[in-house]
Amino acid sequence: MNNSASAPLADLDVDVDAITLSILWARLLSIVDEAGSALQRTAFSTVTRESNDFAVVLMDSHGRSIAQSSISVPSFLGVIPILTKALLAGTFPADTWRAGDVVMTNDPWLCAGHKPDIGLVSPIFFGDQLVGFIGSIAHSPDMGGTLWGAGARDLYEEGLMVPPTKLYSEGRPNDTLLAILEANVRSPQQTLGDIRAQLAANDQGARALHGLLLESGLRDLHGLSRQVRTASERAMRAALREVPEGTWHYRYTADGDGLGDTVALALALTIRDDTIHADYTGTRGIHRLGINAVANYAYAYTAYPIKCVFSPDVPNNDGGFLPITVGAPVGSMLNAQSPAPLGARNITGNILHAVVFGALAQVVPERVQADCGSACWSVVLNGRLPDREEFVEYFFLNGGYGARATKDGASVLSFPTNVANVPTEVLEHSMPILVHEKSLRANSGGDGTFRGGLGQRVSFEWRGQHAVNCSLLSEKTQTRAHGVCGGAEGASGAIQITPVRDIAPKGLTTLAPGDRLTLDLPGGGGYGDPARRSAAARAHDRQEGYVTDGEDR
Amino acid sequence: MLRLGVDIGGTFTDFVLVDDAARRAWFGKTLSTPHDHGEAIVAGMQSLMAESGAKIADVRTIVHGTTLVTNAVIERTGAKTALLATQGFRDVLEIGRELRYDIYDLQLDMPQPLVPRRWCVDIPERMDAQGAVVTPLDIDVLEERMTALVADGVVSIAICFLHSFVNPTHEQQARACIQRRWPDVAVSCSHEVLPEIREYERATATTINAYVQPLTDSYLRGLRVRLGDVGFTGTILIMLSSGRLTTVDGAREAPVHLLESGPAGGSMAGVHVCRATQLSDLLTFDMGGTTAKASLIQDFAPQITTHFEAARVRRFKKGSGLPVRVPVIDMIEIGAGGGSIAWLDTLGLLRVGPASAGSDPGPACYGRGGTRPTVTDADLVLGYLDPAFFLGGKMSLHRDAAERAIDTHIAKPLGLCIEDAALGIHRVVNESMANAARVHIIEKGHDPRRFAMLAFGGAGPVHAFQVARLLHLRECLVPVGAGVASAFGFLAAPIAKELVWSAVTRLDRCDWAATSARLAAREREGMHFLREAGVSDHEMEITRSADMRYVGQGHDITVVVPSGELSNATADTIRQAFEKEYERTFGRLVSNVALQVVTWRSVVKGPAPTMAAQPVSSSIDGVSLKGTRSVRFPELATRVDCPVHARSSMLPGMVLDGPALIEEAESTVVVGPDARIAVDATRTLRISLRPADARADIHGSTAARSLTLGAA
Repeated sequence: MNNSASAPLADLDVDVDAITLSILWARLLSIVDEAGSALQRTAFSTVTRESNDFAVVLMDSHGRSIAQSSISVPSFLGVIPILTKALLAGTFPADTWRAGDVVMTNDPWLCAGHKPDIGLVSPIFFGDQLVGFIGSIAHSPDMGGTLWGAGARDLYEEGLMVPPTKLYSEGRPNDTLLAILEANVRSPQQTLGDIRAQLAANDQGARALHGLLLESGLRDLHGLSRQVRTASERAMRAALREVPEGTWHYRYTADGDGLGDTVALALALTIRDDTIHADYTGTRGIHRLGINAVANYAYAYTAYPIKCVFSPDVPNNDGGFLPITVGAPVGSMLNAQSPAPLGARNITGNILHAVVFGALAQVVPERVQADCGSACWSVVLNGRLPDREEFVEYFFLNGGYGARATKDGASVLSFPTNVANVPTEVLEHSMPILVHEKSLRANSGGDGTFRGGLGQRVSFEWRGQHAVNCSLLSEKTQTRAHGVCGGAEGASGAIQITPVRDIAPKGLTTLAPGDRLTLDLPGGGGYGDPARRSAAARAHDRQEGYVTDGEDR
Repeated sequence: MLRLGVDIGGTFTDFVLVDDAARRAWFGKTLSTPHDHGEAIVAGMQSLMAESGAKIADVRTIVHGTTLVTNAVIERTGAKTALLATQGFRDVLEIGRELRYDIYDLQLDMPQPLVPRRWCVDIPERMDAQGAVVTPLDIDVLEERMTALVADGVVSIAICFLHSFVNPTHEQQARACIQRRWPDVAVSCSHEVLPEIREYERATATTINAYVQPLTDSYLRGLRVRLGDVGFTGTILIMLSSGRLTTVDGAREAPVHLLESGPAGGSMAGVHVCRATQLSDLLTFDMGGTTAKASLIQDFAPQITTHFEAARVRRFKKGSGLPVRVPVIDMIEIGAGGGSIAWLDTLGLLRVGPASAGSDPGPACYGRGGTRPTVTDADLVLGYLDPAFFLGGKMSLHRDAAERAIDTHIAKPLGLCIEDAALGIHRVVNESMANAARVHIIEKGHDPRRFAMLAFGGAGPVHAFQVARLLHLRECLVPVGAGVASAFGFLAAPIAKELVWSAVTRLDRCDWAATSARLAAREREGMHFLREAGVSDHEMEITRSADMRYVGQGHDITVVVPSGELSNATADTIRQAFEKEYERTFGRLVSNVALQVVTWRSVVKGPAPTMAAQPVSSSIDGVSLKGTRSVRFPELATRVDCPVHARSSMLPGMVLDGPALIEEAESTVVVGPDARIAVDATRTLRISLRPADARADIHGSTAARSLTLGAA
């Protein structure tokens, strides 16, 4: 894209030398990381602070990303620039922005595919000139509606939708919007606290960019943005050119509701010259549960494994993603339209890597990994305690990591998202539950030349005086993590509750005092022919109890 | 009356001997003897005694810092250790936090626990979050498991039961049982090693402690005997990661606190310089062969953190190590040193480090077979280093080899001349150090400009001026004896005991009488420890602090807590202190959210040693100018003839203007054009930076040039 017409003031719309570019680029990355660290340290919700469920992105005045915070989770890849470009093309054209403005929205089609993800975009002015934007996105603990999960019947049950609206106008807060938020969410302190943390991050990033412009003598970001994007794009294209051209197919079946209504995913992955295109034609239509993904989100989780394989070192910006395109039929589960429920779209996004790796294993087998025991499971508990206001507590559980071409998969490791567990002691301190077990599941890793990582068993008991609402999300209780290149599947997951009763693997339930929930997380898939696994590795598995003669769990 | 600081490093063991009464100091260096560190200690002591004319019997205190513990964890040479965990939680070490430290690397390896899974065992017992017994400890099962472990050759045990920091009874019972039946087995209990919430972190610290305890124990016992044999009758003190000192018994009990023993000395040297110069805030900058380290000293005190990782899988990658949440001097370490290799990445950008040529083969200019260009090669080409006077002339450098390496790997691919490419390497490494320091300072809520820099390490003085300039600092200090700064710092540290106790409590619901009683009891414990170490009661100072947060937040802020009896009135003082610190760090306060204390801390501290000693140096004549050298500075477009001075001949009171090169045996101080250098009474160089043209910082003096992409 040619940006010279829109930048009459840019005196530095010429390329800087490689060394200056190295230095400026490092500064840009340092700016978004500083802002990301401000967000994480001031956030209130467990999701944001412990699970890194956020991103900060610096953009040029066209909304094209030039730097993204390094610890953000994959779900936010490319999302904020899509949002910002949409704002510029829609409600907020470039000439309507003023210093001190902040636009907020949680529109799933503009942001990251479900309502809890709130995006905040602030303009950055240098003198009178709009030089760029800084945006942050974070998973808020609650947005009203049904408790977060797959339990809602449609979009409207999933809580409050805030279309792009000014949260701040020239530095003045929009008290009406804040009051509406406060009145609609379960734990306003946490939700509003996290929004404040995002504001702090945007402020910090804008200040730091200002400093950089002053020191560098740049008047705007045009030239720098173009160089950063072009360099990344070329690196991505160069990596793609090195692999054979062709189209590779892969089919994958996911649990769906976990009760028999499964989900078929179909992928045709085409590498041509220096581009890669993922076509999900053949993927099923909207599911009744909120596990449907919007196009943005399907893009993020398709581009992510491609980036891991082809250009893990290239920084995240618009350029690096240009050669990657994704298509899914309108109205399919990977291009859902309103009013499909979307709340637990991560369940679907978190398995797309396996479909992509399955296709890529046919071209670059040495670079992919086997399927993981994902998606990440989650438990959300909501109730009222005698000495506390209403609470919403989350915790996440990960399965085994897929095996690689030269090594076993790690046991219990988050992929493709990256969320930490909540320590048992912290969990038990924040609410009356007692965790009876959190341990590795022997024999759950898929066999192979290299073994998949083990899943885990977590068993806990609700010990409150009253029942609590529980929203559960699980995956692979009916299916198994695929192996690659001849590796075996990992063990599937399982859910039990005592006193024994039926419990939906995805959805809402109530835990009465004394109820005990036992969650067995799936293991990762194996890599390569099991017959080629070394005797030493097998002996070690037995010695450490990763593989036993006893019954599988 | 003499005091001796001894810092055992990987290559050298450094010594500083101080005669407090005569205000004199002697420095020494000897090759380390890793097979038996005591050998180097005794040899170095004897040669320093000969030089100073003192007798070992006159040495009252030896302060000792060591990498013994760190190396044992990195090289996995510790004892066969087992973990006893609450039933159902034996995999706590392997499960960890389930988080990847690099989200784009599919091939990543997670840090291996120190205890293999077969020696992690479940013990039936359980406390709830309030410390009430849910399941009593099953001694029979414990004995059965122990019998099997001991039969397997396990010699050290880590016990980490859930919620033991609230109620340690089961851990205590288990230890009593083990000590009764297996008296030779070492035992570390989590409620003592790290009485804090979060079982993975507590178990990790406890297993590290158990893993290194037998080793530390025999080393320190051996050292005491050996020093006694050569006539030493004084006290041995050990440097802790927190910059405080402990006794030999204190170190044997909790060796996990020795992980950062050596680097802590460098920061304490900074504290000493703060006291001597009355500059309250310093940024210490220590650049060596493979890494650069920086730490902040504020109000004459080092900054302490509890977020430290040992034995990282990838040295400079946060999250890739074993978390050790004990107090450590807050230090950033980046892969930028004299040996760091310059390379072009897939984008065609110039990068420096973290890969290092180390000392073997070393930089290309060492002429030992290295062909990749390093920071030292660039420094040589730019004229900062004298090829004939490296390490005081002990080694000569090959400029042609440096040029060849830079030309092949950087200059040609980028279409630059060798000198511009060398300048690029110099600027990029300075930028990355300045960026790391800036992020660190901003994270702490400070403005970098209020700090002065203190530079040491072999490459520190070469790069300090430019890094200080990038951070807009006003002053940069280079002390004498920069090569033995850590050992010097040991002698500036106070003996102290920190007592920690985790109790998650809302500030407005705290039982102040009980809290006061518990704090006082722990402080009495600390005073007893110091008394045993020879500190008298009136010299002791007790400071309290609390790690606090808004209820629901995850990040703690440490706030000073008043001493004496606490009450609802002190709650207000604590709240105000928290709000002040929170606002300073994050820029805004949060309204209507309750405050929570997570951890209480008391430090019982002995007096800080006064250090008025002057380094002994021979023949200072004040005629320091050795000649000139053609040098290229980033601020100037062309080479200039730069005066070269001999540090050893510079007298207190001398003043010079930059640019200047000041050479000493261990390093060269490089000072750019916009500066003035003054030699103070302790012969420290105090370099004042004049405000420079900010634009030059980033653009340098190379002309704008099209970037050749995809070059690599």
